[in-house]
Formats: sequence, C-alpha cells, structure tokens
Amino acid sequence: MSESRPYRRPIDPKWWWAPGPYRAYTLRELSGVAVALYGAVLFAGLICLVSGPMAWDSFLGFLRSPVSIVLHLVLLAGVVYHVKTWFETLPKTMPKMIVNGKQVPATEITRKAQMVAAGCSLVLVVIAAWAFR
Amino acid sequence: MPDVALAAKTVQLKVLRYRPGQDAEPSYGTFEVPYTDDMSVLQALQTIKDELDSSLSFRWSCRMAVCGSCGMMINGTPKLACNTFLRNLPKGPVTVEPLNNFPIERDLVVSVGDFVKKIESIYPYIIPKTPKTVEEGPYLQTPAQMAAYESFSDCINCMLCYAACPQFGENPAFIGPGAMALLQRYNGDSRDGGQQKRLDTIHGEDGVWSCTAVGVCSEVCPKQVDPANAINQNKTNSAFDFFLRFVRKDAR
Amino acid sequence: MDHFDADVLIVGAGGAGLRAAIAVAEADPSLTVALVSKVLPMRSHTVAAEGGSAGVIQSTDSLEAHFHDTVAGGDWLCEQDVVEFFVSRSTPEMIQLEHWGCPWNRKPDGNINVRAFGGMKIERTWFAADRSGFHILHTLFQTSTKFPSIKRFDEYFCVDLIVDDGRAQGATVLSPVTGAFTAITARSVILATGGAGRVFRQNTNGGVVTGDGMALAYRHGVPLRDMEFMQYHPTCMPGTGLLFTEACRGEGGHLVNKDGYRYLQDYGLGPVTPEPRNKTMELGPRDRLSQAFWHESQKGRTFETPGGDAVWLDLRHLGAAKIKERLPLIREMAIEFMDIDPALGQIPVRPAVHYTMGGVPTDIRTATSLPGLYAAGECASSGIHGANRLGSNSLAELFVFGHVAGDEAVKFSRGVSASDSGKLIDQAKASAAKALSLRDQKGGGERHAVLRKEMALTMEKGCGIYRDAAGMQATCDKLAELKRRYREVTLEDKSAVWNTDWVTALELGYELDVAEAVAASALARRESRGAHQRLDGYENRDDAHFLAHSLATYREAAAPEISYGPVKITTSQPAVRAYGALGEALEAKKDAAHA
Repeated sequence: MSESRPYRRPIDPKWWWAPGPYRAYTLRELSGVAVALYGAVLFAGLICLVSGPMAWDSFLGFLRSPVSIVLHLVLLAGVVYHVKTWFETLPKTMPKMIVNGKQVPATEITRKAQMVAAGCSLVLVVIAAWAFR
Repeated sequence: MPDVALAAKTVQLKVLRYRPGQDAEPSYGTFEVPYTDDMSVLQALQTIKDELDSSLSFRWSCRMAVCGSCGMMINGTPKLACNTFLRNLPKGPVTVEPLNNFPIERDLVVSVGDFVKKIESIYPYIIPKTPKTVEEGPYLQTPAQMAAYESFSDCINCMLCYAACPQFGENPAFIGPGAMALLQRYNGDSRDGGQQKRLDTIHGEDGVWSCTAVGVCSEVCPKQVDPANAINQNKTNSAFDFFLRFVRKDAR
Repeated sequence: MDHFDADVLIVGAGGAGLRAAIAVAEADPSLTVALVSKVLPMRSHTVAAEGGSAGVIQSTDSLEAHFHDTVAGGDWLCEQDVVEFFVSRSTPEMIQLEHWGCPWNRKPDGNINVRAFGGMKIERTWFAADRSGFHILHTLFQTSTKFPSIKRFDEYFCVDLIVDDGRAQGATVLSPVTGAFTAITARSVILATGGAGRVFRQNTNGGVVTGDGMALAYRHGVPLRDMEFMQYHPTCMPGTGLLFTEACRGEGGHLVNKDGYRYLQDYGLGPVTPEPRNKTMELGPRDRLSQAFWHESQKGRTFETPGGDAVWLDLRHLGAAKIKERLPLIREMAIEFMDIDPALGQIPVRPAVHYTMGGVPTDIRTATSLPGLYAAGECASSGIHGANRLGSNSLAELFVFGHVAGDEAVKFSRGVSASDSGKLIDQAKASAAKALSLRDQKGGGERHAVLRKEMALTMEKGCGIYRDAAGMQATCDKLAELKRRYREVTLEDKSAVWNTDWVTALELGYELDVAEAVAASALARRESRGAHQRLDGYENRDDAHFLAHSLATYREAAAPEISYGPVKITTSQPAVRAYGALGEALEAKKDAAHA
C-alpha cells in the first residue's frame, strides 16, 4: 500500500474580492450593471414618450431631481470605468493583429480603441449640445 | 552557497509542508536562511534542503526559467522560484506554498498528471494541411505567418496560469489556459489543417465556456504567452462553430 | 513488484529519447515503447539549449565543409566515418522537425534562416530565436503524443539496467510519486540520459544532468570513452553558471576585458574586423575562447565579481530591436537575474562547464559493446565531437542518432526473444533492494549534500580549463575518499512519497562514478588536445602517443582502468588546428594544393 495521499486545498470562497487583479475583475464586471441601468433609464423615457405628454413631463421632472442627478453621476462613473476596462480586455478576445509581419502589442490596441471611443463620445456630446442649444 | 552559521543577514521562509506519511493536512514550517542580494527563492529552498532540512521536497531543474519545473505560490502569487529574487520581495517573511488549485502530493510538489492529459487531449501536433516528405524540403512560412502563432508556442507548461485561474479551481475538469494556448499555437500555424478536430474538443463547460475572462492567467504568465487571448478567441470560434455546424458541408 | 513488458525501452525523454521513441513508433507501430524519464519530458535539459542546430542548407555551403569544421574543431579525435554520416543526415532531420512544427526562424520570403556559430566556416545553424532547444523539445514531446504505442513513464527514476544472457533486457525504475519500483523488461534498451555537467561546480546544466545513463552502462562493464574532454563554455553567468548562448557572438557580440580591449586577438584568433567574420575572434571555438579567458585572468586583465573573475560580453551595438528578436531569452535573463539591459549595459561572463564530449562509446549505428544496448545524445560518445564539440552540433546529434537508435532497436528487438521474465524480475528485485538499502541504512552520518559540494569543488580545481598532474592526482584521491564516505551516507528522510533526499543521493552515486572516470582519464592523457590542456610539460598535442580514444573501465572499489582505442581517420589527416588569420592562410594553401 502506498503512502500517497494527494491533498486538495479548498479554494478561497472569497477569491473574487481578493486584493489586486481579482477584485479589479469583479469591479469590471459589476460596472456592467451601470450600463444596463442607463439602458433602463432610456427605455423608461421611451415608454413615457409614447404614453403621452403628461408622462413625458413627469419623466423630465424626474431627470431634473437631485436623486436623478446623483444617480446619473454614479452611473457615469460606472460606465466610464466599464468602457476603460472593456477596451483593456478587448485585445484578449480578438485574434492577434499582425501588421507588417509584427504582432501589434495589446497596449497599443487598447490605447487606440480608447481614443476612438473617447472621440466618438465627444462628437455625440457636441451634436447633442448643438441640437439643444 | 553561503554557510548558514556565518551568514550576516538572514531571511525567513514560511514553507507549507505536507508529508502524507505523517501529516493529516498541510502546515507551515519556518526556516531562517542566509540572505544574499543575488539569491532566488529557488536558491533559498536549495539551501534549506542542503543545510537545514533535507526532507523538504520541491521540483526544479534548469534554474533559468525555461524548463517550467519550479512553479509555486510565492507570497500568494504563482511564480517561478528560479527567477523570483529575494531582493525584489517586500521585507519580512516570504511565504512559499505549492501551486493553488492542484492536489498536493508532498510539500511543494503538486500532481501534474491531469494537466499533461489535457495537453494530450487537444491534438498537440501538426496535422498537415498538405502532407510533404522530407525530400521535398521545408514548408514556406513567412515571418508574418509565424507571428500569428509564435507567442503561443512560447508556453513552458509551468502551470502558473492554472494556479491563477479561479474557474479551474472551481472546476478541475476545465481545459484551462495552458492547454488552450497550445491549441491556438497549432490552430494558428499556416502548416496545420487540424482546426476543426481541435475545435470539437473544446465545446461545453469543460471546454472554453468555463472561462469568465478573469484574465489573471495572462498576468502571471512568465513568458507573455497570453493564454486568456487563446481561450477568448476560441469562445468566438466555438460559438460560430455551434451555428455553422448546421450548414457545414461535412456536418454529421 | 510491478512488471511492464515492452519491446523497446528508452531511458531518457529529452531530444534523443523522444526522437528515438518516434522512430520506433513510425518503423513499427506494433512494438510497445516504454519511455522512461525522471522528469516530465518537457523538463529535460534539451529545453535549455539556446543557439541552434547545425545542418548544411545554404547553396554556398557543403557537407565537406561541415565535416572539416567538425573534425578540426574536435582536434582530430573524431571518428571521421561517423562525422561523414552525421553531417549527411543532419539537414533531413532539421526538415523533419520543421514538418512537425518547430518554429525555425525564417527569412522574409519564408525560407529557413541560419546564423553564424563558433568554429563554423559558413552559417549553418538553424535556430528558433535563442530558445532552439526549448522549441525542439516541445515539438518532439507534443508530436510523440500522437503515437499510441509510446507508453510514457513520466517521473520514473532508473536505478539499474537488467542484463541477462549477455544482453540488456530492461531496467528497474522507481516512481517517486509512490516510492514503489517497477521492472520494465524489453528486447532492447536505448540510453538517452544526457550529460554529466553537474559533477562540476560552476556549470550551465540543469539539476537533472547527473550522468545517470553513463554510470548505469559503466557499472555493467561498458567502458566510458574520452571522458577527460569536458567543455567549458566561454560565456556564462558568474556564480550560477547560467548560459549566455554562443549566438550572442554569432549575432555579432564582442568579448572585452576590463580595459575594454577585445583580447581574443592576442590568442591567435584575430584580426579584428568591423563585421563578424566566421572562425575568427568571437566566432572561434569554445575551447580556445575559454583558454583565452584563463590567460587573461592570469595576466590580471579580468575583473572580480562575487561569482569569480569575469570579462564583458558586449551586445550594445546590436541594438534593442535585434536583441529582442534574436536573443529574447538572453535579454530576459540579463534583466531578471542581473538587472542589466543588454541594449544598454555589458554583461559580465566567465567560462563554466557546459558539455560532456565523452560518454558511452557507440558504433556508427549507436550500438554499444553490450548487445541490445544503444546510446544516443550527450550520454553517448558517438565520436563526432572528438576533443572539443562545435556549438550547434549537439542538438543535431540528438535527432540524427536518436533516429538511428530507434531504427536499430527495432531491428534488434525483432531478432531476439525475451529471457524468462521471472529471472529478469528477480534481478530487478535485487536492484530495488540495493536502492532501498541506501534509503534505509543507518550509515555513518555522512550527508550527501556535503559530498556533492566537495565533489564539484575538487573537479573544478583539478580538472578545469588547464590541468596538471598534481592537481588531477589530488582530485582522483579526493574522489576515492568521497566514494568511501558515500557508503556511510545517512538519509534524514526515510519516507516513500516524493523522497527527493533519496533520489538525489542515488544520483550522487552516479555522479561520483562518472567524475572518477573524468579525472582518471584526464590524468592518463599526457598531452594537450582540445578541451584537455596541461601545464606540466605536456602543452602540445602528441599524435604519436595520444591520437587515441581513452577508455575508462569500471572497477568495484578501485580507480577505473584506463586503456586506449584507435581513432578512425578517413579523409582528414591531423594537421595544425588554427583559427583567425592563420587558419585562413592554411585553408587557402590547402585549397591551392587541391586545385
């Protein structure tokens, strides 16, 4: 009879909150909730719009309330964090980019993609500001 | 190697010990090891074995971070002991444990058999697109074609990525990052024609779909192989394959 | 005791062992191969080979040129028929590896690229960055998994061969995982266990390179050949001995002393040229470069480091991009181990033991003097390296002779029947009992770690780059003492599972036997040739007396007996071995004579 008796250590049930990259991963995934909530707010606005002017006015009233402004600031922070980390994850999910026989480094893909995203956001803000001037 | 008795400076190592013949479960052993500036964690362990306690077991060989033997948890992070230097670690005791997520056979030695089986399961060899005899000479492969798979071929099978992967911890049957990097190494090779065969091995929960893109596997990789990329690319491939199988010519 | 019956047993799963296993599986899939390795195959020391593997491929090159470089590089102690065979079979093996997926470096058009190497007239070193051995080993291991007839015994340690009826018929192996032994019986046995560099203190070798196969054959009456020729590689990390590949110089790196002077020009290797020139300066052979270092050190033109004196390896002029592309591992090692970015700073280097030129003598078809026993790779003395191996010939050797060994083992296995298995298993039981007794004996309190250090130190002292009779005699005496003390070893660890205390003690037994063969062979060779250089009145090559292979024969409890065997000369008569300007002049003269 062999003495061999491999021992399996239990995995840490709170691994997702372990400091460092694991916590960063959990925060990244959680920040996705902010994106969903933004979508829900927009969707609610749409429903109000089709329900008639009274509903629409009360929706606008809600948007101007301090609760809504605080909520939007929190959601904006969550979405910005999600956008930033989403593009950091992007190079891990796509085939290697080979340009002139050399692999494009992940950091460069992330940087360029983030710049494009920031540019697009800026254009949208400018268009919106122009439309509601 | 420095003499234990004469050493001016020492460092404390807290090593997780497990001797199945005598221990019911692992517990820490503490060693005072003479410290020099150029000392790796591996050298510290060798000093313990040679001069303090010869019953401490761990794997090692090349000492230069290419054979992949000496992966272990150092202060809680999976690292190669041979290229982790004491001078670069925070002051205070250094904790050394066997790699997370693997059964411990003894001390710092973990079971590697399952990992090797996973490597073997993904057809880790060229399945030639166009067979050729040696007399016909080498295949042509441009540097750009090589770049498509080259980084995945740098994997030294050290298993640090598995120790970093919580999903492998939860599901030991998960194919895991290292084997997926190897799969992508062959799937991305211009000489290879075995992509479909390999893809068929990675559908399902034990295939790519256990991965939730935590991504720490790529962060701990000592060779910048980026196994997270290999897995996530193949989620896309696996998903496409799921739908395309209905229209594929050779579909069963 | 467990018993496994195979047709072919291969001990060692590095480059040679894996190549042999695939050869057997391809030649006859009905034959069972037992492939035993004391580590996972991809941990084998082939993994650490950096620079590349030689094979003629350029249109300007020729098999004759590779032959002449090898024979002259070996100071004419090569078996010339074997070298002829080797150079002709090398390139097909490289192509085979390419077909199996080895990521050889390519030219822009997709063809194979080759680099310059020391002592080679024309660029013929195939390379995969500076991780050639790593890529080759993983390619071979992964390819081997496609053959179901290869039954691997990963992490099994070989404690003895089984020899019956005058031929090799298997081995007794120990599984550290359980502490249990297995008798593996087979019709033929291939040794592919690698070299013995760990018997020296500063060496480039992994912990596994302990001469196991050499000692196994040696104890069964097979002599060890040319063991005095231990190669010092000139560019290693002081202290650890880790290797900075010859490709550093192949790509154009310089060696300079503490005054910034390219000192090799003082040792018959000049002239200094703006561009690297083959067989000149830094592209001279390893023995000459290590010897030049020794002289520089004697002259006080080296500098001190905690790991011994050193010179500078200067890669800065290659530029960061080229270093990253061609020498990524070297760059990583310099940065991680020494905090030096080679694009910005010079790397301190000194010679360290790298390669065992000698080993188990084989004929051109890898057969040893024991029927049924074959040997390939560093553990073998096939005769291609002579007194000094050229860089990039050793990787090629693995595949050429691994392949042949596989083919020959198949033929032999088909032609013989097994002895009574009960008898073979009894022999295995006796070997197991002997190995167990080392673990369990009370002993006299000797610690094997202490003995190992003393062995490595005395080898370095007496059998270093330059040698004299007094030093070598002192080493022989010291080794005899260590062997006596080895019998008094007491292990602290008596357990069964993963008892590495026990396995390393068994390895030390192998190392001491091999070390003794090295020292005794060195003492007996009263001349200077290749890697064996003497200072005590034997400073020159003496073809009249020593154009001969040394053979060390094992004797129980006594120093080995040294005898000599002939060297096979075919087309290259021994001549002056010169590099640099003199070498070029002599070659021009020879070419003119031919014309």
